[in-house]
Amino acid sequence: MAEDPDIKFDHSLLGVAHSLGSFSVTREMIVAFAIATGETDPAFTGEGAATESGHDDIVAPPTFCNAFLNIASRPDIRLEFGDTGFFAGQAIDCLASVRPGDTLLATTKLQDVYAKTGRSGKMVFVAWETTFTNQRSETVALVRDTHVRRNKRT
Amino acid sequence: MLLDLHTHSVSSDDSRATAEQYAKWAGVLRRKGYTIDGFVLTEHRKFDFDADYSSLAEENGLLILKGSELDTNCGHFLVYGVTEALCSHIDFADVSLDAVELIRAAEEHGGVAVPAHPGRFGIGLYDFIENGADFSALGLIERLNGSDRSGEQERAEELIARFGYAGTGGSDAHLSSALGACMTRFQGTIEGDEDLVRELRAGNVHAVHLQETKLDPSAHSGQPLSNLP
Amino acid sequence: MATRRLYYEDAEIGDDIGPVQRVVSGAQVAEFSRVWRAESEPSRFSDAEVARREGLPGPMVPGAMSVAMLSQLVLGWSTTVTLKKIDVIFRQVVVHGVALTLKGAVTDKGLVDGEPQVECDLTIENSEGATLVIGKATVRLPNRG
Repeated sequence: MAEDPDIKFDHSLLGVAHSLGSFSVTREMIVAFAIATGETDPAFTGEGAATESGHDDIVAPPTFCNAFLNIASRPDIRLEFGDTGFFAGQAIDCLASVRPGDTLLATTKLQDVYAKTGRSGKMVFVAWETTFTNQRSETVALVRDTHVRRNKRT
Repeated sequence: MLLDLHTHSVSSDDSRATAEQYAKWAGVLRRKGYTIDGFVLTEHRKFDFDADYSSLAEENGLLILKGSELDTNCGHFLVYGVTEALCSHIDFADVSLDAVELIRAAEEHGGVAVPAHPGRFGIGLYDFIENGADFSALGLIERLNGSDRSGEQERAEELIARFGYAGTGGSDAHLSSALGACMTRFQGTIEGDEDLVRELRAGNVHAVHLQETKLDPSAHSGQPLSNLP
Repeated sequence: MATRRLYYEDAEIGDDIGPVQRVVSGAQVAEFSRVWRAESEPSRFSDAEVARREGLPGPMVPGAMSVAMLSQLVLGWSTTVTLKKIDVIFRQVVVHGVALTLKGAVTDKGLVDGEPQVECDLTIENSEGATLVIGKATVRLPNRG
């Protein structure tokens, strides 16, 4: 994306990996996430017999890593634009199952900061990529989040 | 000839459709009885000179052209007939281009700039005209946009009634299954950018919704419903 | 939850997925916010007045819940679906208590590194037909036999 001189932020953060910490995955956590998102499949909620997939226990729903992702946990890029922000989009590569007993390590990187215009006027988008790996060093998910900063509508 | 004049591929940051997927979806539309002869990829804030869709177009019996959607100080503009000369003159990545200068430069360098979604709240030409901008000399706006929200189409119609603009149609698709939601009907044959720019500049266009292109199976000519008396 | 068994050979470009109707209540958002470790004070996700001050039409459904619902739409298409990727863009705010229609359409299929994969477009619309969320999913469907 082209550099926009009006977008002021901490450029030193671009492409730099930051640890978001490690997260222990429990059965209760998986069930809570599944139920909270309206999931009904017993493969995720734990109700009933073993599922089609043949697993003995539950597995986490594909978007489970969102339980650990919250904008508050990422580094502050000190973006000087707008007075409100929203989640603009997300892409999740579901690479391996997450199960009770797993420990997930999350590392995030600032990928891009760019501007465009729309119904809300000028907006600045901030894109992060977060990698989740388990205790076997397998990458279980790659999550790309985009957040938008703009001015509140009057 | 029916062309979707406003689509975005993965080359635009907020689209998830490839040109190949648009071509496949055109096949779906045809199997469902709709008519579509091609589309223009109008990527946000860029123009990809290297992208070559000629084989894809030929394999699928479609016309696939390239254009751009640029951000200006008076809303977004669709630019057709993009040339290297135009790209040297205008910074496509600038999100606050001067709209008047863009229109002039496009004209000078063999293209045409058309206000996109002019009725869109917050970014449509309508609001800039209401605030005093003078675009009375414009001949053409995007009349039908497949992503318009409630009230926005009415504002585009108001501009057309007020200024006598001709109007194009485009889906503004960012997913392949949105292709063709709105299109532009051309009476003549469009074979490339030159034909397209000529017909757009002349205002020889008619905006249609996808539903209007459905072939009437009972008509021997197989004409679209909108062509029938 | 899925009940049918689809195979790669069964999927055709143009096939519909869903539609599924959902309504997300304030109570569900509150439950999700606990799991999501969201702030406990009144927020745009929980309080109508806070939402109004932020220029929103009502308290919001977190984007992560919309992503989850769309993944459920895809997985509900068939017991044989394995979700490989989901990619979502939020175009308009999803608010509590609104009737939502989730639907998809198969837009591509092919072998990727020998694996049978299908791509589909996804959308969430409100009761007025406005598109709130768009997205795309890539799934693996097994070959028959």
